[in-house]
Formats: sequence, C-alpha cells, structure tokens
Amino acid sequence: MNKLIISNLNKTYPNGVKALDNVSIEIENGMFGLLGPNGAGKSTLMRTLATLQEADSGTAFLDELDIIKHPTELRKVLGYLPQEFGVYPKITAEQILNHLSVLKGITNTKERKELVKYLLNKVNLYDKRKKSVKGFSGGMKQRIGIAQALIGNPKLIIVDEPTAGLDPGERNRFYNLLAELGEEVIVILSTHIVDDVRELCTKMAIMDEGRIVYHGSPQNAINELNNKVYEKMISREELEEYNKTYSVISNKMVGGKPLIHILSDENPKNGFQLVSPDLEDVFFTKTNIANLKINNHV
Amino acid sequence: MFKTFFFSEIKTALKRPMIYIFFGLVSLMIFGATASDNIRIGGSVGNVLRNSPYVITNFVGIMSIFGLLMATAFFNNSALKDYNNNFNEILFTTPLSKAGYFFGRFFGALFLATLPMLGIFFGVILATFIAPMAGWEDAERFGSFYIETFINNYLLFILPNMFFAGTIIFALANKFKNTVISFVGALILIIGYIIAGTLISDIDNETIGALTDTFGVRTYAIVSKYFTAIEKNTLSPTFSGLLLWNRIIWLTLGSGVLILSFFNFSFQQKNKKVKKQKEVKDTKAQIFSLPKLNTSYSKKTDWLQFKSFFITNFLSISKSITFKILFLFSAIILISSLIGGFEYFGLQSYPLTYKLIDTIQNSTIIYLVVILVFFSGELIWRDRQNKINEVIDATPHNSFISLSAKALSLVAVTSFLNLFFIFIAVIYQLINGYTRIEFNVYLLDFIYGNLPLFIIWSGVMILIQVLLNNKYVGYFVSILIIFVWSIMLTIFDVSSKMLTIGSTPSIRYSDMNSFGPGLHGALWFNAYWILFSLITVLFAGALWNRGIITSLKSRIKIAKKQVPKSYKFVMLGTVVIWFLTAGFVYYNTQILNPYKTSDVREKLMADFEKKYKKYEKVKLPKITDAKYFIDIFPNKRDVYVKTKLKLTNETNSKIDSLHFVIDEDWQPEFKIPNAKLVLNDEEFGYLIYKLKTPLDTNETIDIEIDTKYITKGFTNGTGNTNIVQNGTFINNFDVLPSLGYNQRMEISDKNTRKKYDLKPKKRMPKLEENCTKNCMGNYLTNGSSDYINVETVISTSKDQIAIAPGSLIKKWEEKGRNYFKYKVDTPSQNFFSFISAKFEIAKRKWKDVDIEVYYDKKHSVNIEMMLDAVQRSLEYYTKNFGPYYHKQVRIIEFPRYATFAQAFPGTMPYSESFGFVTNLEDETDNNVIDAVIAHEMAHQWWAHQVVGATMQGSTMFSESFAEYSSLMVMKSITPNPMKMRKFLKYDHDRYLRGRSTETEKELPLYKVENQGYIHYGKGSLILYALQDYIGEDKVNTAMRNFLNEYKYKKPPYPTSLDFLRHLEPQVPDSMKYLITDWFKEITLYDNRLKDATYEKLENGKYLVSMDVEASKIKADSIGNETKIEPNDWIDIGVFKGKDEEELMYQKRVKINKEKMTFTFEVDTIPAKAAIDPRMLLIDRIYSDNSKTVSEK
Repeated sequence: MNKLIISNLNKTYPNGVKALDNVSIEIENGMFGLLGPNGAGKSTLMRTLATLQEADSGTAFLDELDIIKHPTELRKVLGYLPQEFGVYPKITAEQILNHLSVLKGITNTKERKELVKYLLNKVNLYDKRKKSVKGFSGGMKQRIGIAQALIGNPKLIIVDEPTAGLDPGERNRFYNLLAELGEEVIVILSTHIVDDVRELCTKMAIMDEGRIVYHGSPQNAINELNNKVYEKMISREELEEYNKTYSVISNKMVGGKPLIHILSDENPKNGFQLVSPDLEDVFFTKTNIANLKINNHV
Repeated sequence: MFKTFFFSEIKTALKRPMIYIFFGLVSLMIFGATASDNIRIGGSVGNVLRNSPYVITNFVGIMSIFGLLMATAFFNNSALKDYNNNFNEILFTTPLSKAGYFFGRFFGALFLATLPMLGIFFGVILATFIAPMAGWEDAERFGSFYIETFINNYLLFILPNMFFAGTIIFALANKFKNTVISFVGALILIIGYIIAGTLISDIDNETIGALTDTFGVRTYAIVSKYFTAIEKNTLSPTFSGLLLWNRIIWLTLGSGVLILSFFNFSFQQKNKKVKKQKEVKDTKAQIFSLPKLNTSYSKKTDWLQFKSFFITNFLSISKSITFKILFLFSAIILISSLIGGFEYFGLQSYPLTYKLIDTIQNSTIIYLVVILVFFSGELIWRDRQNKINEVIDATPHNSFISLSAKALSLVAVTSFLNLFFIFIAVIYQLINGYTRIEFNVYLLDFIYGNLPLFIIWSGVMILIQVLLNNKYVGYFVSILIIFVWSIMLTIFDVSSKMLTIGSTPSIRYSDMNSFGPGLHGALWFNAYWILFSLITVLFAGALWNRGIITSLKSRIKIAKKQVPKSYKFVMLGTVVIWFLTAGFVYYNTQILNPYKTSDVREKLMADFEKKYKKYEKVKLPKITDAKYFIDIFPNKRDVYVKTKLKLTNETNSKIDSLHFVIDEDWQPEFKIPNAKLVLNDEEFGYLIYKLKTPLDTNETIDIEIDTKYITKGFTNGTGNTNIVQNGTFINNFDVLPSLGYNQRMEISDKNTRKKYDLKPKKRMPKLEENCTKNCMGNYLTNGSSDYINVETVISTSKDQIAIAPGSLIKKWEEKGRNYFKYKVDTPSQNFFSFISAKFEIAKRKWKDVDIEVYYDKKHSVNIEMMLDAVQRSLEYYTKNFGPYYHKQVRIIEFPRYATFAQAFPGTMPYSESFGFVTNLEDETDNNVIDAVIAHEMAHQWWAHQVVGATMQGSTMFSESFAEYSSLMVMKSITPNPMKMRKFLKYDHDRYLRGRSTETEKELPLYKVENQGYIHYGKGSLILYALQDYIGEDKVNTAMRNFLNEYKYKKPPYPTSLDFLRHLEPQVPDSMKYLITDWFKEITLYDNRLKDATYEKLENGKYLVSMDVEASKIKADSIGNETKIEPNDWIDIGVFKGKDEEELMYQKRVKINKEKMTFTFEVDTIPAKAAIDPRMLLIDRIYSDNSKTVSEK
C-alpha cells in the first residue's frame, strides 16, 4: 500500500496569487479525484507533485520518498499526463512512446517493444503506430498522452484533465484502464467534470483558491447534503431576487428557464422541491462559499 | 481600393516602432562608417572623400542587400497579417477587389521597406556635419553633396532592389504562409547573391556578371572600376549603360514574379491535395499483454537515454523544411563554385584536395553557422513548442543527458553536411579525371578545423538559449557573439584568441608541408575550447529549466539544491582541467611567444620613427663581403646563423659607430672587434656600437653576427610560416639585423601618420638629374651593399636539400646532416634566399648553364614546361640584352603560405600554389608559367645586373623591363599576334583598376614610386606598344646600351632618366611625342569605331570604310582629365572572323582630328573592324573599339 502525504504546501506566485495555501492531504492507493474551479490551484499542486514546480514551503512524501528533495527519485515512479499535451510532429506514435520508455528506464529492448505495442493497443492506436503524429487529431494525441503516463511501473500517476477532447467511447476506455491500475497505485485525477469523480473515485478533494475545502469520499460528501438541497424552476427575471433570498448553489438552464438549487436546512416551501443531492451540488456548495455566506446572514 | 490598402499599410506601420528602429539602426551604422575609421564599409581611401557619391553608392549597395532582412519583415507581415490574426476569413468574405488588396498591400510594404534605407543618406549627412566639428575626421575629408546622388541611388538601387526582393518574399509568404520560410527565402537570396559573385570573377565574363547581378552592386563596381579619385568624388550613378540594362532586366523579372503570385493568390483556402496513404491492413487480431517490466537506472540507462534523445533530435532537424532548404542550397552553391572558380589569368589549377577544402570552407561555412544558430534555438524550444516538455521533464533523466544529446545532434547534423560536401568534392575530382584524392587530408582537416568548431558553437549556443530563456533573444545574442564579438575585440585591440570563442591559429594544408606550423597551436586551442564547450553544456544541464519557466535566479537556487554531488564533482573537475589547459595555452601564447597587438605595434612604429629618425642620414659602412653559415633544423623548426661580414667605409669621411636595428625573434649576438656597445634600446631594438678607432675611407672591418631562431611551443597566430618542417624559405634580411635606421619601418598611411603627429611621408625621393650623392644606394638592398661576393655553407636534416644562390662547390654529410657550400659565380646583390626541403630535381643543360627545378614529388606535371620556359628566356635575353653571368638557373618550390615568385641571384623561389599546380593541359603555346618564369628570369638582368637608386622611377627598369621581357618571350613563340591581346588585356585591367584605387597620387611611368599597377601594368604596356611602334630591336638596343653602361657597376646607380637618354636616339623624330606621352605624362586614349562598312568593287575586292572617333586625354595625379587634340599614329584594321582571332588587314594611320574616316581595299569580306585592334593603347573602354562590318 502506497501512501502520499502532503503537508502544509504553500506557493505564492510573483503576482501575489496564492496558488497553494497550506495544503495537506493524505492519499492512498486508488483513484483520487481532485475537483475545483479554474484557477483553484489544482494544476499547481499537480505540477508540484510531478516535480515540475517548486513549492515555497511544505513537504510531500511518497511513502519514505521526499518528493521535494529528491525529484529524480520520484520521477522514476511517476506517470504524468499534463493538462496540455502535445507531441513532436514528424515522429511516429511508436517512436515517441519508445523514446519515453527509454527515458523511464526501460532498458531492455524486447520489453520496451512489447510494452509499446501493449500500450498502443490499449489506447486503440495500434493500427496507426507507424503514422507520423502530425496528422493526428486532438483526441488521438491525448490518447498517446495517456499511453505514456502508464509507461513503466509507476506508483503515482497524475493525470490533469485527461478526458478533454475524447469522445465518450474513448473516455470509457480510458477510465477502465485507470480503474484497473488504480487498485495497486495512487492515481490522482484532476478534473472539473464532476461525474468523472463520482464514477471513478473512492476518495476526493475539492480545491478552491489554493485551499482544500473538502477531503473525503464522494459519498460522504453527498450524504452531508441529504435533505438539504432543493430545486425550483424560476423565470429569468426572478433570479436576482432568489439569489438575495436563498443560498443558491447553482443555477442551470433547463428548457430555457433557470433551474436553481439551493441549500437549506429546512424546507423553504415556496414551490421548492427536495432533491437527492449529487456531487455537483457538493462541488458548488464547497466552492460557492461567498454566495452562501451572504445568504446565511439574510 | 488600391489606395485604401496602400495607405492603411503605411499608416499602421508608421504607428509601430519597428520602422523607426530600422531607420535608426541604418543611420547609426552609416554614421559610424562615415565618421570613424574603425568601421569600414564602402571604401573611402586616400583621396576619395568620405561622403563622395561613390562611397554613398557603395553604402547603398551594401546596405540594400542587408536591408533585405528588414524588408522581409515588412513584406511578410503585409502578406500574412490578416492570416495570422485569423482575420482572413472575415475579410475575404467581404466584397473587396483582389487586385486592390494584393497590390495595395504589396506596394505599401515596398514603400515602407525603402524607408529604413533613407537612413543611409541621413547618416552620411549627419556625419558630414558632426565628424569634422567633433574632431574625429578632418574637414578636408568631406566634400559637398549632389542631389542626384540621392535621387539616383533611390531610384536605381533602393527601390528596384526592394521591389525585386519584395516580389519573391511576398510570393513566398502568400504561398507558404510561414514566416520562417519567408526569412529563409530572404537569407538565401542574400547569401546566394554574395557567393554567386565569386563565380563571375574573370574579366572575360564581366558583362554577363554585370547583367546577372540581382542587386546591381557589382554592376556598379564594374561601371566604376576605372574611376579615378576625382570621378569617385563627383560622379553619381546614372540611368545608362550596363546599370540601366541590369535594372530593366531585374524589374521585369520581379514584375513577372509579382504577376504570377497575383494569379496564384486567392481569397479561398485551397483544397489541399490529400496524399493517398496506403492502408496497412493489420487483419491479424493480435493480443498484447503487458510484459513484466524491469526498470533500471544505471550508466547504461544514461547511455540509452542519450541515444534516444540524440535520435529524436537528429530526426527532427533533418526532417525539417528549413534544414532541407539550407542543405540543398548550400550544396548548389558548392557545386556552382566548384564549376566556376577561375584563378589566375583565366587558368584553373588542378582540383587538389586542399583547393577543394578551401572551396568547401568558403562557400558553405556560413550555412553551417546558420544551421547551428537556428537549430540550437529550435532544439531547446522544441519540447515547449510541442507541449511535450512537462512529460519529458517529469521523466527520470539527467538534464545534462538531454542537453548534451541536443548539442551532439547539432554537431552530427553539421558534420553530416560537411562530410556530404566532401563527398561532392571527391566526385568533382573524379569527374575531372583527377585521382590523387587525399581522403586523409579531407578527414584530418575536418577533425582539426570544422568538427571542433561545431562542437564549440553547439555547446555555447545551447547555454545561451538556456540562460536567456527566450528563443529570439537567444538568436540575437548568438549572432551578436559570432559576428560582433570579434569586431568588438578588434576595436579594443585585443588579439588573444583565448577570448574569441572558437578561435584557433589557422591551419592551411600544403602539399609540401602538410598542415604546417599552425597545427600544434590549433590542437591545443581546440582542446581549450572543447573543454569550454563541455563546461557550457554542464552548466546548461544544471540550469536547465524543467517544468514551469522561472527566473535565472530561482533556477540557480534550485540547481544548488538539486544538482547531485557527483555532477558537481564532474563540473568542478572539468573546470579544473579547463583551467590547466588555459594556463598552458596562456603560457605558450603570451609568455613563451609574446606578441604585439596592432595598435601597440603601430604606436611603436611611430615612436621608433620619432626617436631614431635623427639617425637616418648617419654615415655607415657598406657590406662588401658576406659569408653565411646556416644550420637548419626542420623538425624542431630552429635555424642557427653565423654571418661573417666585411664592412667597408665607402664614404669620404670617417665612421666611428655602427648602427643596427634588431629583430628580437632572432636573438642576435654581435662580435665586433674593438667596439663598445654605447646604446642598447631594448624597447625598439636599436643598437649603436662605438668603434675605438674610427674607420677611414676605404678601410675595412670584419664583424660577425650570430643569430638564431628557436621555435618554442606554439603561438597565438599560425606562427612562423617561413621556418617549417618541409619548405623553409628565409632570406638574408630575415636573418640579419638591419644596418642602421630603416625607412621601411615607418608608418606609410598618411591618415595614420597624422594620428601620431608625424609629418606626411614621401613615398620616394624625388627623381634627380645627374644624380650622384643620392644615388649611392640601390633600392634592392636599401643601400647596405653593392655587388659583392657571397659564400654560404648551409646544413639541414638528412632527408632534405638546402639551397642558397651560387654554384654548389661542395656537398658532404656530417653527423647525419647534409651540408652544402655555395658560392656566387659573379659578384651579386646581397639579396639571398636560403631554402630547405625534400626535393626532386629536374635538370637540363643549356650551353654552359645548368637549369634546375627543385620540386615536391607530388608536383611533377608542369616541370618540363618550366624547363622550357627558362630555356626560352635565356635564349631571348642573352640574344637581346647580354650574357647571363651565373652558371645555374634554379627554380625552387616553396609552400603555399605565400603566393609569389621572387628572383635572387640565379635562384628563383616559386610558390607551390601557382605554376606547379596549374592545369595547363589545354594551353598550347603560352601560359602563366611562362609568363612568371620569364618575368623572374628577366630580373636576372633587370634588377640583378642593373638596379636603380632608391628614387622615383627606379622600379621602371626592374619591374617594367622584366614584365616587358616576359611579354617579348611569349611573343617570340606566339604565331598569332591576336593572342598577345589576351595577355595585354590583363595588364590594361591591372593598370586601370590600380589607378582607380590609388591612395596618394598617380605618377607618370618615369617617376613611378614602387606602384605595382604602374610599373607592372602600365610599364609593360607602354614598352610593348613602343616596340610595336619603333621596332623590337630599337627598344632592345636602348635597353642593352643602358645595361652595358651600368651593369655590375659601382654606384652611383642609374635613374630612369639614364634610360631615357639611351632610348631617345632610338626613337625616330616622328615618334618622339611618345616619350612625352607615355613615359613622362599620364596619357589615356578614348578611341571608338562609329561605323564600318564594305562594298564590293569591280576588281573583285572590297572597299572598307571606317568612321572613327579618337581623342587623347591627359590626366593629372589625382585623376583630373583634360582632353587634347589628337595627333597620333593609331592602327586600324579588319578581322576575318567575329571571334577577332585573325587580323586580315591593318594599317597605322595618322589621327589628327576627332572624327575621321578611312578607306582601304581588302580581298575578302571582313567580319569586324577595329581601331587599335591589338589593344596597344590605354583605353578605358576598349569594347567600343570594334564593330561588325556591314554592307553599304
């Protein structure tokens, strides 16, 4: 059983943005979802764990291994798919994976060949292995990215927004692949697609403005909101009014009209209906704090 | 519509800083070039004013080529602006006119591209006002401006050049929509242009060269090549002649390109052709299983990672379009310069391996540097550009591995190219049927020269890119370091190669002496720089930015924390080894072999003159007998010399002291009886010995001077190329200190002299009539001796032969060394060469003279011809001038570090690089070897039997006579007089070009001040024409009589007036005007044939009628010309064929009017007619002298 212990990580950018604010989490084997709105500090955290960025202070250990002090050691057991992933043009899928396998220390040529074939097959690119990557679509490139993150025997796999650009079929394939791996290693999946986390992850954290605002299992988070979330279809003109009166956690358009979710300990009546909360509600509850606070005063 | 786009293009650009920056840059450069001596563009020397129309036009020419890079920015931007901003889809769906859009944009950009060029004018004007005020330059170096200089330059050069280049760039940009390709296109245009120019260097294809010149720069050079200083100062380029035609040709071509590009241009996106890819059908359903993986991180992993990085980098360079373009282009340039490449008098040398190495180097090195710079940036930024950097950075590899792989792939790509060039060269050798292909020389030269260079620059540029963290800033700094750094060092007068990145002593392969004296130093410098490069890569590895881009400061912080101990240890170790190497190199180049920088040397010369000029007139004895004992140690490159001299007081007063100026490299020791060293100025090497008993008139003293040249370690430069392992060639002035103050050590350039407050220097003492006092010394030995007996005992290693002038008296072996004793057969000039090398000897006996050629065994091909040439010269000269007084004639090959031949008494060293290796297989009768050998042979009479005083006019009867003699020898074996015209043409060119670059003043032949273009070029032409006008025997009689009066005589030495005294009786009265016109004044002719017709007569013959125009021009010393009425005898004639090979009729006619018509009868129809058909007269434009004859 591997364990990743992050304690008190801090990072402030030169422009004053606090990207990591005293972040501490423990992560064990399995899929771990990291949710958060844009700019919450997810990528900073991921990059720090992937040894691509220095934290101002704090520590991160993978088992006994000090990630901050010995980045090279971590790199040996790391699989990483960054948010933006591209490939060299004019090089084939096979060549690029082979190159990365060597970089990850797979020195036996036969093993490497087998591995590359296996991975290409896994991401459904085996037929295109001899093609120059230049002609690949965004999704195909992303699949190479996924394949490379699995090279070697990683103990820690970090994937940042991995399913962007994938069609639903590929997405499923990919998640199955991750889930398979997740039994033995730590997989950190950063995303803002709430469903992904619900479907895949046993543990999760929500980040906002550099802080961990929730850490636990998705189900627990949902359970916390049981009997507290109500919904109502309103008209667009009313939205302002409702925002003032209730703790609106989300509003989305359904058939051209806003459908709002609010958080309330007791039944607000007024046409609201109790709904069973989902992870999205959790996400908005945790990250729309400003909105909620105002409402609590009302 | 056109107007809208045209003006909007200009308005937008004027709001941006770029155009002002460019304008400022150009102004600044030209301002610098005009106002200061340190920056040299354009060529204002001597009497040419710094702001003359000629100089301004050259500025425009040069800048408009380099301004293309700026122009590219405008044209490319204007073509791609909408496309890059993704505005094209919006714009092109509006109903606008294609022509208006296309041409509006183009001409807008064209106008903009010419604006920065106006900075040239601005810079010149500014400098003209500021430089004299600030005291940087004398006001007299500037003249007034002519408005047409500016207008014509704009319309003739700036606008058409930008137009033509613009059409190409605009077309490229529209076609490829890629900035890089546009810039590569511009670059290729520039580099190709520069190199292509070297292809058209022979005077025979000058006109083609002038018309095919894309930018008109060389056209102008050809048009203005015979301009005198005054013309350069007053004439602006005009819309006429070759220049106009050239401009019309290129404007037309440009318009063609533009129109093609317009039709190709479309608002719609073209359907891209889809390559049909073969469907690889993998029908076999394969099942893959995850293999059991064993990751390991050992040295082997490092190696594999390095290899993998290397391969991906190498592939990415070699597959890129930029690379392919540069590759193809450099290969084309190389091939075309191989095919072209005339060398000397229209002859080519055999394709020797070292010649091809030189060609490869000259025509391709710039591309290799461009590749290094460009791809250093590409490789470093490739990962980021492709967004794979985070993945790569997060893998467990050492940054040094990836960076050194990048560096190595740069080295590999450039090396691959270099080897490919060698392959092309070998093919070229084989195609030419040349089989002595020296692969080892190719390879070693590459290993000693370019390979280290690639390694060094790759490392350095990678560090630059890593440190600066911005690709374009990196490019900029790289280029700055490559090109500007060395200029900066020159400005600050630093010449140590240890400070110029990648610089090493230059090595030059010679068939005789292999890689030569520079090799030792080059190897050490290479080691020093390669270690430096390794350090730069190690540093780059430590500072390489993994992950997010951060500042250099924080990267240093991270590096301190993360770089492992072992790595730091390696870094430290490398730095230590580098320091040790640096120490060793420093010790050798600065302590063991110190040198003076050019500024220091210049100042030293000035101070020397100021301090010791006072001794110039001190009376000194002359050397009246000399015995040299010379021991040469070729392997160690040491020479020991013992010289026993007899000095005799030939003045009519007592001499009480001896003055010497020594060369510290030769460490002289003086053994002078009864003398005391009273002055020993070590700084300037000036020594005075006081004699206890002064020397009376005609009294003699025996002295001994021992000198030695010891080669120690290696030097900052190539080192001494005269004392080498095979082919040592030194003369008595090298080994002996100079006797007394030597005028030749003074600074001669008048502007430099001014800088040091030295009075203007007279090049030569004035010509004197009935000269005695000032004619006591000859210019060859600078007055130190007259005709004397000389003996030499010279020894060398066992495998070499050592040669000094004179008959070989004795030859023996002693202690495993070869000894030779030589003695001159007749008293000769003390002008002696000492040579040692491994030689083959070819011998021939002519009467009682031994003709010997000493040559390297690889160079046997032309030896028979050389023997023939010597024999022919002997025959002609003994018949026409008088006996030959030596018992031997020797031609001795020496290595190609210098390209000349020189005449010592009976002995003529001749460089290996011409003559010995020139391909003469197609030349049937006369050729350059004949010419050079006959010239040097003639010096055995003209310079060695009779020589002039150190005075104006003296070189006329050594150099002009020798060149004339050589022409006469060739004439004696040339059946067709028209063939001589080919030779005369080169002499014409030499003279006319020479006078156009005269820095002080042109003098008439009889007062020539050692000016090559006059005594070789003009002198030979005049004497040749004279023998045609008054008869060969008349001229030769005058020369023979002159020789007989003075040969081997004690001083006073003769002057040119003494020759004219002998010439005059030989010239009939009707021709006396020639002496004035040709010898005593500067006379040019402007002859042309206006019209020539023929008509058939009843007697079956043809009546030819020629309308000629002729005028005579007198020039003064700075080129002011006055036309005078002609009253001259000039030939007219007709040719049988268009090729002007056969002259079927000629007549010498009196021309006393500017326009005259002549008629005469011939037997058959002539093809062409000409005035002065054999090119005897000096005519600046000879091409208008002949015309096709048409039927009346």
